[in-house]
Amino acid sequence: MQGWVRTSRVLALAEHDNNHALFVFMSSRMPPQLFSDLSIERVLPVDADFRCEIDTDSKHQDEIDVFVNISSRKLKLLFEMVPGIKTSNFVGEIFRAIEVFTKRRGPPPEFEWLHKYASGVGGQRNSGNSLSGMDNPTSDTLESGVEGLTGQDESLTDALLGSPEISVPRQSIAKGATPIAARESVIKYQMAMKEQHYTYTQVLRVYVGTWNVNGQPPTIGLSEWLAQDPEPPDIYAIGFQELDLSKEAFLFNDSPREEEWQEAVLNGLHKKARYHKVALVRLVGMMLLVFVQEQHAAYVRAVATETVGTGIMGKMGNKGGVGVRFDLHSTSLCFVNSHLAAHVEEYERRNQDYHDICSRMSFTRFLPPKGIKDHDQVYWLGDLNYRITDLDPWRVKDCIDSGNYLPLLTYDQLHQQHGLKNVFAGYQEGSITFRPTYKYDPGTDSWDSSEKNRAPAWCDRILWKGDGITQVAYRSHPELRISDHKPVSSLFDSQIRVIDAAKYRKIHEEVMKKLDKLENEFLPQVMVDNTEVIFDTIHYLESQTRDLIIANTGQVPVTFEFIKKLDDSSYCKDWLNIEPYSGFIMPGNKCDIKLEVFVDKKSACKLNSGEDKLYDILVLHLEGGKDIFITVTGTYERSCFGSSIEALVFISVPVREIPVGKLMELENAKEVTSTQDPYPIPKEIWFLVDHLYRHGLKQPHLFEQPGLNSELLQIRNWLDNGSPDPLPGSIHSVAEALLLLLESTAEPVIPYNLHSICLGAASNYLQCKQIVMQLPEHRKNVFLYLCAFLQEVLCHMSDNGLDTKTIEAMTRTEMYFIKYVVQCVLSISGLNEEQHVVLFAVPVV
Amino acid sequence: MAREYDHLFKLLIIGDSGVGKSSLLLRFADNTFSGSYITTIGVDFKIRTVEIDGERVKLQIWDTAGQERFRTITSTYYRGTHGVIVVYDVTSGDSFANVKRWLHEIEQNCDVVNRILVGNKNDAPDRKVVLTEDAQRFADQMGIKLFETSAKDNVNVEEMFMAITKLVLKTKKERKERQAIQNNDTVNLRKGPKQNKKRCC
Repeated sequence: MQGWVRTSRVLALAEHDNNHALFVFMSSRMPPQLFSDLSIERVLPVDADFRCEIDTDSKHQDEIDVFVNISSRKLKLLFEMVPGIKTSNFVGEIFRAIEVFTKRRGPPPEFEWLHKYASGVGGQRNSGNSLSGMDNPTSDTLESGVEGLTGQDESLTDALLGSPEISVPRQSIAKGATPIAARESVIKYQMAMKEQHYTYTQVLRVYVGTWNVNGQPPTIGLSEWLAQDPEPPDIYAIGFQELDLSKEAFLFNDSPREEEWQEAVLNGLHKKARYHKVALVRLVGMMLLVFVQEQHAAYVRAVATETVGTGIMGKMGNKGGVGVRFDLHSTSLCFVNSHLAAHVEEYERRNQDYHDICSRMSFTRFLPPKGIKDHDQVYWLGDLNYRITDLDPWRVKDCIDSGNYLPLLTYDQLHQQHGLKNVFAGYQEGSITFRPTYKYDPGTDSWDSSEKNRAPAWCDRILWKGDGITQVAYRSHPELRISDHKPVSSLFDSQIRVIDAAKYRKIHEEVMKKLDKLENEFLPQVMVDNTEVIFDTIHYLESQTRDLIIANTGQVPVTFEFIKKLDDSSYCKDWLNIEPYSGFIMPGNKCDIKLEVFVDKKSACKLNSGEDKLYDILVLHLEGGKDIFITVTGTYERSCFGSSIEALVFISVPVREIPVGKLMELENAKEVTSTQDPYPIPKEIWFLVDHLYRHGLKQPHLFEQPGLNSELLQIRNWLDNGSPDPLPGSIHSVAEALLLLLESTAEPVIPYNLHSICLGAASNYLQCKQIVMQLPEHRKNVFLYLCAFLQEVLCHMSDNGLDTKTIEAMTRTEMYFIKYVVQCVLSISGLNEEQHVVLFAVPVV
Repeated sequence: MAREYDHLFKLLIIGDSGVGKSSLLLRFADNTFSGSYITTIGVDFKIRTVEIDGERVKLQIWDTAGQERFRTITSTYYRGTHGVIVVYDVTSGDSFANVKRWLHEIEQNCDVVNRILVGNKNDAPDRKVVLTEDAQRFADQMGIKLFETSAKDNVNVEEMFMAITKLVLKTKKERKERQAIQNNDTVNLRKGPKQNKKRCC
């Protein structure tokens, strides 16, 4: 590639308010590590001048890399990218951006948002300015790919492509939520890359003819022009100029000649084959007819026609071009019939007309619209009107008469302009071996004998562009004499790529499979180090933790969350805590999850009664991906904490000495039938109260100072296991253990169903007393026992400091129950008439 | 604009633990097989796009844990399923005996759904205990199609998945037609023939 410079660049596609722009970055190092490594080299707005196409040029076919041509105005860039899903997605996004632009309504966007990056444009390093804008994209989203020939930059691609904004749509593919165009363009592009594997070449004979008929009706047969070859062509493209010189044709583009000439053409086609009309297009006097043999008709697709006027005012149809394009099998063909500006000296106008036709002929039924150049094969025919200059007409005629065309051709304007690449760059023309086709006296083979005495010229020409085209004949047909021009025709052997349906299906399936595989690989994947978490024996109020490691082993960031299952109200049981229960893990990273089991009064009762077990199945959900089940198990050591008063009074031995089933039985029994007489109150309450009564009545700050956790656990074990040793722990710990034990009972001492009655009775001392008498037997016992105990406590007010003020202070602590009991005591004993008012109004745990 | 697919179907693979549900999916979606057994703890899915009569069908195939302890949880994944693949192991009589339970599970959790019965591990004739005739008789009774497959040797896997996909597609089309007829009955009196809506999922 001459004149091209190969360097590494980083590309990013930015979006702002539904307008897109491609940023080309230079990087001070490859791969770039930081944003400050990058500086903007160019910013190409995705607008009407922006083009992007995948280069399937044969010279790149052996290489693995993907070549992408991007052009914007005069700038042409060729990017070589490493093939893969990233590249495919990135190119897909560019195509999508172009599509967004072409479908946009309203005035063309100004791209003002790009101005702030403009200072960096043009190659100067100005990272401070340009990148501050990039670092802080307000509403802009960035997508990025990395291109280059020296070191491919995986890390940055990962960092940018792997950002959550981009991974989400990919995951939603799997959900089937949003069909995205990217995949479709990837398939197209992959199929284009593999075209040679499912197509074969078939050579078809193409007949191209052109004739300026000078406004004459078809009074003669055309077979001498159209059907003089022994074998019928596969394709006919027949163009006329000056079909109708009438004012009506010019002003209203309405001409009876269209029908007449079409009829004449149909009658003149080769008789050895049957033809199918592909299209007819006419603009004033320019008409183009395309036929294919019937056997090919089924493979003609995407037929489109277009006209461009370049005549009066640069717009009218007296001059200009008409075009027909279609796909035959897998090859795209375009035929253009043009009538360029007249007059010897006007060759520059003719060049201009050609360029106008090229730029303005746009087949808009396609997205993006296809131009003439966007075809595999282009055939250009017509009265191009280029003349022979700087030679006297008589010398010209002399040369022609002696059959010596070569010197004349050097004076042919088209030869000159074509050689200078001013016109028909990239097109070829066969060598001319026929007499000039202009200008004759109509009805004769004699040169123009009018006053003007025009010099002969090869006005009528046929050129072509594209691979696999071989010209077989290029000739004129002087026998057709009705016009002042002679018709010209050319035969081509053109290679058409034909799709092998079976092979196509197979390759298409392979491509789909590959994409499916990629899509599956892009689903979130994690490894969890343990899906069966087993805890040791769990005790009341004693927490235990286990760690779980979630490792992102996939290619995309993972958002995980433990989710609720079935009708559960939470994602785990209330004795379990998961920290964190949701999170985000980048590929290759890990997340530690802490599972903590902690049985408190809320869950203890259900575990004691067997209503619940230390067993849970957690559902770890990966957003857009799979769910993993994690089983959590443990054994709960039963305890007097969390048991009901009714069950405890029937247990004469430490709780752990009775079988599990017995405790459940006692807990669940509605009416206790036991051989053994129950205790009046649970022995555990007695142990604690008795201890306080004996050793703690004079303890300052009794019930105010919290106990030690370690001592609480010792006390719990002492109560549950039984021991000949004295009750362990300080007075404060014992006092707190009593409160905890009372709090943890399956139901409070005052049952829930009496609470509202209590509130109603709160202002009446006698009613309160009555309610107490109505309590179930063991509760009443416990209640009165506690009251008696607290009365004792209050007798030592001066030592333990428990007085009415302390009670008020306790309101601010969470020890509702003790406050309740104390107030109860006060009111029942009649010490303070005022206080029974608030008796039952205090919340009861 | 080009479409990615014409239909999106959710398929579910169920059956006892260890009958080869994950292997069938792996074979169909990735064309791979791993001899080592990794029990599925959870539900996982893969996608595969196939073409049936020129229509592109995207399949989202869910593979479920077969273990008994997960049964209540996995049943919640039946929702929105278009087709269910019930798998047993031809070398395990128990897994075949449990097929009834799995079919019952489907009835409990799905409204209308296409089903297919699959005897996997059909690659070791000497270890085969569930005879084809017995399985076929049972399948006929239940009115479902039977496929004997081997994920290991890649036998009948593609065919089985295509068969259930075709069933689902057929059901969808029939429902569409019924709806169209119903619409015709009620609406067409005034408006004339109503055009069928463009197909979509």
